[in-house]
Amino acid sequence: MNAGVSLFWRQKKAVAGLVIILTLCLMALLAPVLAPGDPSERVGRSHQPPTVEHVFGTTKMGRDVFSQFVWGARPSLAVGFATGLAITALGTIVGLVAGYFGGRTDATLDLATNAVLVIPNIPLLILLASFAGTVGPMAIMAIIALTSWPWGARMTRSQTMALRQREFVVAARMVGEPHWRVIFVEILPNLVPLIGINVVGSIIYAIVAQTTLEYLGFGDPLRVTWGTMLYNAQNSSAIIVGAWWDIAVPAAGIALVGLGLALINFTFDEIANPQLRSGPALSRWLRLTRLRRRELEAAR
Amino acid sequence: MRLSRRRLTVYCVAFLFAIVMNFAVPRLMPGSPVDSMIAQLGPRATPAAIEAIKARFGAIEQPIWQQFVDYVVGLAHFDLGVSVKYYPQTVLEVLGRSAGWTAFLVVTAITFSLCIGVLLGAVAAWRRGGRFDSFVSPFSVVLIAVPPVIIALATLFTFGVTLRLLPVGYAYDPSLDPGLNFTFFGSVFLHAIMPVLTLSPYLIGEFQTTMRSSMISVLGEDYVTMGRAKGLSEAAVMFGYAARNAMLPVLTNLALMLGAVFGGSIVTEIVFNYPGLGLTLYTASVARDYPVIQGQLLLMTIATLGANLLVDIIYGVVDPRIREGRA
Repeated sequence: MNAGVSLFWRQKKAVAGLVIILTLCLMALLAPVLAPGDPSERVGRSHQPPTVEHVFGTTKMGRDVFSQFVWGARPSLAVGFATGLAITALGTIVGLVAGYFGGRTDATLDLATNAVLVIPNIPLLILLASFAGTVGPMAIMAIIALTSWPWGARMTRSQTMALRQREFVVAARMVGEPHWRVIFVEILPNLVPLIGINVVGSIIYAIVAQTTLEYLGFGDPLRVTWGTMLYNAQNSSAIIVGAWWDIAVPAAGIALVGLGLALINFTFDEIANPQLRSGPALSRWLRLTRLRRRELEAAR
Repeated sequence: MRLSRRRLTVYCVAFLFAIVMNFAVPRLMPGSPVDSMIAQLGPRATPAAIEAIKARFGAIEQPIWQQFVDYVVGLAHFDLGVSVKYYPQTVLEVLGRSAGWTAFLVVTAITFSLCIGVLLGAVAAWRRGGRFDSFVSPFSVVLIAVPPVIIALATLFTFGVTLRLLPVGYAYDPSLDPGLNFTFFGSVFLHAIMPVLTLSPYLIGEFQTTMRSSMISVLGEDYVTMGRAKGLSEAAVMFGYAARNAMLPVLTNLALMLGAVFGGSIVTEIVFNYPGLGLTLYTASVARDYPVIQGQLLLMTIATLGANLLVDIIYGVVDPRIREGRA
C-alpha cells in the first residue's frame, strides 16, 4: 500500500489532477467568503460582458456569473461525489457477493448485472426523470446510482472470483472464519486499487449524467448548479447573442472537474494494472533493434 | 451460428426489464400523468383519445396483470400508443420520422472514431512510454471525462457562431427538397459535420484507451514474438499480428457503449437542432408526451441489444478459439 502511495506522488499527472480537484472543492467550501450575497440576486444589466466589477460578466437576468459559478460548485460537486460513491458501493457489494458465493447467487446477480448493463442508461434516466417531474438532487442521485452500478460490479466480480481461489482465502475458510470476515478482512483489502478506479470513474460518470439531466431541464431551475446555469444560458440563447461567458464559465467548471478526475484515474489505472504502465522494457527493445539495424546497414 | 444460451437470456431479461419499467413507472410515480396528458391534448381530447390514454396508463378498472398482458400484446403488434403532442399520429410514426437521422449520425460518428481511436491506441501501445504515448493516452482519458454538452456548445460557438464556417441547425438546408441529388447530399454532409465532431471525442477516447490496453496484453503473446523473430517488418507485426487480435475487446466495448452514445446524441441533437430521436425525445419530455418517451426507451433498448447480439455473432466468426470450440 505504501508503495502505491509513493508511486502516486511520483506521478505528476495525478498530483496535477488532485490540485485541480482540491482547488475547486476549496472554492465551493469558501463560497460565502469569495462571493458574499445571494447568487440569484439581480446585480447588473442583462448580459454584461466581463468587467472588473463582474469578473465573469452577468447572465440574461443580470445575475453575477462569478457568484453563480462559485455557489453552483457546491451542489454540482456534492451530488457528483456522493453519487459516485453510491454507484461504487452498490457495484462493489453486488460484485463481491456474486464473486464470493458463486453458484446460483452468482448466476442471478450476474444476469441482473449484464441486463442492466445493456439497457441504454441516459434514455432510461430521462424516462424516470420525466415521470418524476422536476427532481431534486437526491432523486437525481438515486436515479443515476440505480442505473449505473453494473460496470463496477462486473470488474469486482471477476477480481473476487480470482481471489477466492488464492491460498490465503482458502486457508481462512478452512480455519472456519465466518463469511463476512473472509470478505472484509481477506478479500476487500486486495480490491482497494480496483475500488479506487471505480470511485473516480463513477464520479466522472455521475457528473456527466447530472449535467446532461440538468441541461435537459430536469433539474430544479431555482437551484444554482453548473448544470442549471448551462440550461438557463441555453434558454436565453446566450451563444447566439454572443454572451459566451454565460456558457463558457459553467462549462469550464465541469470540464476542469473532468480533467482533474481523468488525470487521477489514469494514474490509478497504472497502479492497479502494472502492465499498462509506460514501462521502459519495450522502448528499450525498440531502441536495441533500431541500433542493430543501423549497425547492419553500416556493415553493408 | 449458435449463440450461447446465457447471452440470449441476458438480452431477454434486459428487454423484459425495459418493458416492465415502461409499464410500471407511470403507475408508480406520484401525480397523475393521465390528467396532464389529457390537459396537453386540449381541444383534441375526444372521448376515444381519453379512453386510449387511460387504458395505456392504468387509470381503468382492471386487474394489474390483465393490463400488463394487454400492454405486451399491444407491443407485439408494434402498438406503442399514440403521441400526445402530435395527436393523432402514433408513436411509431413520430419515432420513425427521426430514427433514420440518429442512425446516420451515430453510425457515421462510430465509424469515424473507430478508425482514429484504434489507430491511435495501437500506435500508443506499440511505442509504449514514448512521447506519442505519454501525450495521447492521458488525453484520451480526459476526452472521456468531458460531457458531450460542453463539447457540443464549444463546437457550436467556434465553428457555427464565431467563424460562421458551418451551418447551425437542422439536418439539411430547409430550402432544398429532399431528393437523390448532389446538392441535397452535400447539404446533409455539411450539416452533419458539427454533430459528428461533437460525438466523436468521447468515442475516440474510449476506443483509444481500450485498444491500448488490449494491444499491450496482446504484444506479450508468443505469436507476436514469433512474428518479430521471423524478421517481419514492424508494420506487418503491428497490424497483421497484434492489432487484428487486439480489436476484439474494442468491439465488445463498442456494443456496451452504445447506450452512452445515444445519450450523447440526445444532447448533440438538441444543441444543433438536428431532427433525430434525441430532439424528438427532448420535445416529448418538455411536452410531457409520455408515450413517445416510453417508445424511445424501447427503441433504444432494442438497438443496443441488437448491436450486442451482432457483436456476439462477429466474435464467433472472427475469434478462431470460439469458432473452433463450437464446431
